[in-house]
Amino acid sequence: MHIPDGILPAAVSVAGYATAGAATWHSLRKINQKEDPRESIPKASLLTAAFFVASWIHIPVPPTSVHLVLNGLLGAVLGYYAFPAILIGLFFQAVMFQHGGLTTLGVNATMMGVPALLAYFVFRLRSVVGKESRVWTGVFGFLAGAGGLGISVLISLVLLITTVPPHLDVEAERASIYALTLAHVPLIALEGVFTALVALFLQRVRPELLED
Amino acid sequence: MKWKLILPLTLLLALGLTMQASAHGARIEYTISIAVEIRATYDTGEPMGGGQVTVYAPDDPTPWLEGVCDEDGRFVFTPDPSKPGTWDIQVRQAGHGDMVHIPIGDDMAISGGSGYTPLQIVLMGACVVWGFVGTAFFFSRRLALSLPKGRA
Repeated sequence: MHIPDGILPAAVSVAGYATAGAATWHSLRKINQKEDPRESIPKASLLTAAFFVASWIHIPVPPTSVHLVLNGLLGAVLGYYAFPAILIGLFFQAVMFQHGGLTTLGVNATMMGVPALLAYFVFRLRSVVGKESRVWTGVFGFLAGAGGLGISVLISLVLLITTVPPHLDVEAERASIYALTLAHVPLIALEGVFTALVALFLQRVRPELLED
Repeated sequence: MKWKLILPLTLLLALGLTMQASAHGARIEYTISIAVEIRATYDTGEPMGGGQVTVYAPDDPTPWLEGVCDEDGRFVFTPDPSKPGTWDIQVRQAGHGDMVHIPIGDDMAISGGSGYTPLQIVLMGACVVWGFVGTAFFFSRRLALSLPKGRA
């Protein structure tokens, strides 16, 4: 899921930084419009730690393995804080462990952060059908968690498929990209269920954490 | 009498030619060269079997050699000794991969890598996580301190 340095052309990396910059600016502007922008920072900080650690948790999907991303969960719970949280988490993953990369930080942030914002909008839809309903909270939690990761996987697929360098065996590389994309399908379902469970738990014990 | 001399001389000549031909049977020369073996794995330890390898010679952005890792993620090549400097080897599979920089020449090392030990990873990860948790505590404290003032 994390695209490392040296994989994408320079133009794509620059475009990634441009979109990530625009998304960060929009998110910070929305956060600043809140009555107390600092109020949700503890929650955002703890979930950034969860996002940072999640990439170490590998789930075997033979013949390969995939790791947790949790961008849909961050979107559902953090709202506009999700994008800066993901950006900071990705920065530390790249600097400390070379998981991802600094040249691809903008691309990775866009790839995971923008779907997290979409997951936030999906999760907010539960207020249309009944915010207090545990069933709808679970359903929209699942849709947010699964949809957030699903869109990220699709963006990753398009980016990688269209930028395979011609000096490589393009068909072999594309076949392995398709295989890795398919391996994410069980993870998409898993993260949907996990996000639904977290949303239901928070609604029961601290419902104010799910407020906008 | 003539035939008695010609026959042995012919036999000796034939034997001599044969011995000369045997002396041209084989010849071996050798040159010592340095082979570089890499092993590419994912961060789970799983070998990157079938990963596509691209070797770049020093100061040359065009690929010098291309190949494929074996099932164990290994790839062996012999760099050109006339091109000392840092050789870059990239291994890529499914949009994932890494690049290792290997100095060839006077300052070359016997072995090296691009990763960390598990202990280093755990320590660095714990430091970063503690930074996030500390940030959460810091802003929680500010909130707790500011609440009574707000109410008063």
